[in-house]
Amino acid sequence: MLRELAALTRRELLRIARNPAAIFTGLLIPILYLLLFGQGFNLSSLSGLSGGAGGAEASLALREALLGAPSYFSYFAVGMVGFVAVTATLFTGANVIFDKLFGIFKRIAGSPAPSSAVFGSRLLAGAAQPILLALFVLGMAVGLAHIRGLNGLIVTAHVTVLGALEILLAIALLSFMFTSLFLSMGFILEQPQTYFAAVNALNLPVLFTSDALYPWGTMPLWLRNIATFNPVTLAVNTMRENLFPRSAYPFPPEVYLAGLAAWTAFMFGVAILLVRRTLGPRE
Amino acid sequence: MTDPIVAEQLTKTYSNGTKAVQGISFSVRSGEAFGFLGPNGAGKTTTVSMLSAGLAPTSGRGMVGGLDIARDASKIKRRIGIVFQESTADGDLTGRENLEVSAALYGLPRREARRRTEELLQRMELAEAADRLVKTYSGGMRRRLELGVGIVHSPPILFLDEPTLGLDPQGRAGFWRYIRGLRSEHGLTVFLTTHYLDEADQLCDRIAIVDHGQIVATGTPAELKDKVGGDVVTIRPVPGAADPSAVLRALPGALSVQPQDGTVRLKCESGERMVPLAVEACARAGVGVAGVSVQRPSLDEVFLQFTGREYREEEGPTATDRAVRIQRLQERRR
Ligand SMILES: Nc1ncnc2c1ncn2[C@@H]1O[C@H](COP(=O)(O)OP(=O)(O)OP(=O)(O)O)[C@@H](O)[C@H]1O
Ligand SMILES: [Mg+2]
Repeated sequence: MLRELAALTRRELLRIARNPAAIFTGLLIPILYLLLFGQGFNLSSLSGLSGGAGGAEASLALREALLGAPSYFSYFAVGMVGFVAVTATLFTGANVIFDKLFGIFKRIAGSPAPSSAVFGSRLLAGAAQPILLALFVLGMAVGLAHIRGLNGLIVTAHVTVLGALEILLAIALLSFMFTSLFLSMGFILEQPQTYFAAVNALNLPVLFTSDALYPWGTMPLWLRNIATFNPVTLAVNTMRENLFPRSAYPFPPEVYLAGLAAWTAFMFGVAILLVRRTLGPRE
Repeated sequence: MTDPIVAEQLTKTYSNGTKAVQGISFSVRSGEAFGFLGPNGAGKTTTVSMLSAGLAPTSGRGMVGGLDIARDASKIKRRIGIVFQESTADGDLTGRENLEVSAALYGLPRREARRRTEELLQRMELAEAADRLVKTYSGGMRRRLELGVGIVHSPPILFLDEPTLGLDPQGRAGFWRYIRGLRSEHGLTVFLTTHYLDEADQLCDRIAIVDHGQIVATGTPAELKDKVGGDVVTIRPVPGAADPSAVLRALPGALSVQPQDGTVRLKCESGERMVPLAVEACARAGVGVAGVSVQRPSLDEVFLQFTGREYREEEGPTATDRAVRIQRLQERRR
């Protein structure tokens, strides 16, 4: 099993390395959000609640609305770190479909390689990108705070080792979850067009039903109810609780992490079932 | 010991109602090369897919390497090699990488995989192109790589689904050489499908002619030609000799006799048996013979005889069309 997993993972990584353009497309969306949306859309000054000059620092009332984050940018930048897990995994399933169309999957299915190795290799290679990109986006958002005239992510809590680990775990779980989801779609669907349509239909709703972009308090109740269970929310809350004072949250970060882990386990299960079906004898 | 490949009343009806294979039975003996010869859409690929445990039969039974295709799929997959009709190599990887990955899929240890890869690159004459991406390979190179990938784990049983599809005559002859070499070295059991009559004739010990999902005739190439009963013995009398037609017509086993351009064409069941009789009869009649030749009927005639039709192309999307379509798609993507 390990031999097969290693060989198939190497194959996936070679393909990624030979097509680096795909990595940048995954980065593009969050970077645009940070550099354009995050700079232009400034809730702090917009609401007239601005405290400091230039509106970079939010007043007490706004901080409350932002659940302890010192500025809107700080609040939403963490949301973008979570959203990378979606944008950078969008195409993992498309590769499955192309491999099915081009006969590569036939070769794999004709071999005795276990389905766990087939799924595992794509999961590892697929999740490696969003994990690295999320860390990059996090670093970039913090870095922006040090450039004069730009909004950036201001960390106001003392980040402990455990906190850093929780942030890392949240990013990893979220990446594994969405990689499994998109791989599952790749296993089910046969046409790239259908896949891209489905992925596009999913992308923005996932973002908009999470609390990545909007302060919790601005959401109507029904949306809040949905957002509570959105895996992006769960990951983002875990991170925010470790980067900002956590008093504003009803649960400790471990609760959100547990919810996220449940999502990830569920998507793993679905993906494993589907890969078995894809590799087994066709009807 | 049971035969390495056995099919009993194998049947496949696809979900759209197409009866691709309708109760096929045969067995392939150990070390034998068995050919499935049939036109597009005959059900060749469907049969290979079922026997290689990639497609569930609708009914009937298949045994490969003594194992049941319905129950022991993963064990069977370890024992067989497959060369698919369409290209299955990874265009974004080099030839060497493709072979190494495939070796690992069969659980070969890394060092063994490397050794085997080098051996096959040499053998398939791909050593020079080993580190080029496969998407830059020609059709012939791709087919050779497919064969290498199919036998990377040295399987005792090999399925070849139209292995030389799209190759030029030279490429095909080369491919046949590899297969013959493998067979003589390893006593490989081969199940081969083809729609090239000469390929079946050249490579196979026995042939089943399939049409519309059924076997219409089975036998060695010679037996099948014998069944057509159409050996032609051509006798060239010395110049000025009398016409031996009447004498020859009286011979037992002579089906028809026809003078043609100074020669006489005698149709009979077995040319080999007829030659001495004919020469002797001519001598007794005082006709000097300058030359004798025997022509076997081609499999074209065999096919015509058993199906009542010329060897033809079937309409509708078949695996061949699909393979071509996918190849085009790949080219566009590059
Ligand atoms: N997945 C499928 N669903 C429905 N019908 C199919 C499917 N695959 C093949 N068929 C049909 O089954 C029949 C047999 O197809 P098959 O591919 O086995 O033929 P073949 O002998 O391999 O032909 P070729 O020489 O073109 O490769 C054809 O009529 C084909 O259209
Ligand atoms: Mg076919």
